[in-house]
Amino acid sequence: MGRIVIETIGGLSAAGSLFVVATGLTLVFGAMRVINLAHGSFYMYGAFLVSTFVGTTTGLRFFWAVALAAIIVALLGTAVDFTVVRFTVNRDPLTQLLATFGVFLILADLGQHFWGTGFRAVPLASALTGKVTISGATFPVFDLLIIGVAILVGVALWLMLRHSVFGWRVRAAVDDPELLQSSGVDLRRLQMGVFALGALLAGLGGAIVAPQTVVAPGIDESIIVAAFLVCVIGGLGSVLGTALGALIIAFAQTVGAVVAPTWASTFTFLAAIIVLAVRPAGLLGVPER
Amino acid sequence: MFRSDELSTLSEKSSKKNKLADSAGLASLSQMGSGRRLGPSTFAMPVTLAVVAAILGSVLPVSYSFILEYAISLSIYAVATNLLLGFGGLVSFGQGVFYGLGAYTVALNWMHHGLSFWEAMVLAPFVGAAASVLMGLIALRTRKLYFALLTLAFSQLAYVIVGVQYNFTSGANGIFGAMVPTWLVSPRNSFFFVLGVTVVSLLVMWKVTSSPFGLVLQASRDNRDRVEALGVNVFRHQLVAMAIAGFFCAIAGTLFVIYSQSTYPDLFLWTSSGIPVFMVVIGGMYKYIGPIIGAVVYEIAHHFLIGYTQDWQLVLGLVLVVIVLLRPDGLAGAFDGLMARRRGRVSPAGGES
Repeated sequence: MGRIVIETIGGLSAAGSLFVVATGLTLVFGAMRVINLAHGSFYMYGAFLVSTFVGTTTGLRFFWAVALAAIIVALLGTAVDFTVVRFTVNRDPLTQLLATFGVFLILADLGQHFWGTGFRAVPLASALTGKVTISGATFPVFDLLIIGVAILVGVALWLMLRHSVFGWRVRAAVDDPELLQSSGVDLRRLQMGVFALGALLAGLGGAIVAPQTVVAPGIDESIIVAAFLVCVIGGLGSVLGTALGALIIAFAQTVGAVVAPTWASTFTFLAAIIVLAVRPAGLLGVPER
Repeated sequence: MFRSDELSTLSEKSSKKNKLADSAGLASLSQMGSGRRLGPSTFAMPVTLAVVAAILGSVLPVSYSFILEYAISLSIYAVATNLLLGFGGLVSFGQGVFYGLGAYTVALNWMHHGLSFWEAMVLAPFVGAAASVLMGLIALRTRKLYFALLTLAFSQLAYVIVGVQYNFTSGANGIFGAMVPTWLVSPRNSFFFVLGVTVVSLLVMWKVTSSPFGLVLQASRDNRDRVEALGVNVFRHQLVAMAIAGFFCAIAGTLFVIYSQSTYPDLFLWTSSGIPVFMVVIGGMYKYIGPIIGAVVYEIAHHFLIGYTQDWQLVLGLVLVVIVLLRPDGLAGAFDGLMARRRGRVSPAGGES
């Protein structure tokens, strides 16, 4: 019983961080029809920045470090949007993938300049290192924090998309960009906002899990695959689908780790393949023509 | 190396088939290959290139012919990837899987004392083709972007499996050792072996692209609905294209083993799968020769630049962004544009057919 609770909390925590990262990818795809291979770089920069902020002797508190990292990554995202991504809107997928692949390579190289090639430790504030015991199962408080952040992000996005003018426009851009533009909305400005938001979420995701995961060059490569799997399972452009996808991927991994540890990481791919065999456009996606 | 009479009968056959495809109304849909007449002059360039490469390979000092050897073997990888990318319109970020499988088939076979080296060399392309069909059966159910993302995921999957199954693959360490027969280790022998395999592979793939099959593939890229309305099973054609591409990517992988006498799991990484795509893009995907130029330029630039700077990835990224945004048809396209402009200045009436 205790084992199940621990694994469930762990799985939810993994799903939470995946959701935060992948939902940024899916929002950008929805509003701009651009697939961003450099999304994983934003995640990596979030984690790197937190390691810098927390690591300094002045000791910024973890929450401020995370917030600052996410905002800086959002600014970086805006710069990437301004120099590269905006020229790929309405181009074919190959152009988008390659241009953002170029950005990915550039950011990976620059990242090594700033933070070196080794592992970086992110020490946690003592308040967050504690353990909680529920019905005999003990697990880290930090897992609960990540789950909380993911729920907060999900609710905030839902409120934004349903109840704010910006959100209405984003949804309109997903459905019919031309009509939106002809009704006097500056589509470019909207897309800028969405791209910055997407980068912010990636940075936030990387920053928040930094104390729990390996922070080193190369995490940009692996997270982007996980985020893509989540988005593809859920259906690109759907935030709710992303949440489902994150849960499926995280639990496939958790179950894999229990059932067959050496094959654990292949379970996520298996889950994705099964879902796509049944629904080629993802659970909540609209078939591409 | 090739007798010209053989080559011209080859070209006659393919031009006949071109006409057949034309009458079926398929070739008119495609941009490439349809309007081009295939005569003996078509072979002037490949023969010249092969002869130039052979001369360079025997004249250059070994340290340089080594680079050229690798660049030549990479051109198989790039052209095979372009079968999907340029000719099929299928953006695959997973060709590293088959390149890696080709290399690992030879290396694992050596490590586990299986077949002889040559038997493994023959087996490897078929392993690549089989894996490619498996991947295609799943990935081709999806379209464009989803296809690209799925192939990328498969690349990562292969990487993870090879890394984790330490006992069988020796994991992240890779495999190295005397897996290549001694006479092939000699630089000149290995150069000419690689060149020979490459010439044959490139000719076979060239034949594929100009065959009716290749034309259907291009037509499905341009207008899938119309091709399907003509009664063509597009899925099956794309699956066969994937098998062919997987076959030749694996051949390129076996040549990597001959060149480096080692394999490592990074060959499977999706970023490694991006490299042939990169070569295709710098060379130009709308010409058969584009990826060959791309592979040679890439490898030579790579070799000389890493001597000067640590920031190879940065250079790569910048070049990629600039080319994709400003010159999507690559070097081959830029060259064509230049030639067309020059010709235009000399005789405005003499347009290209």
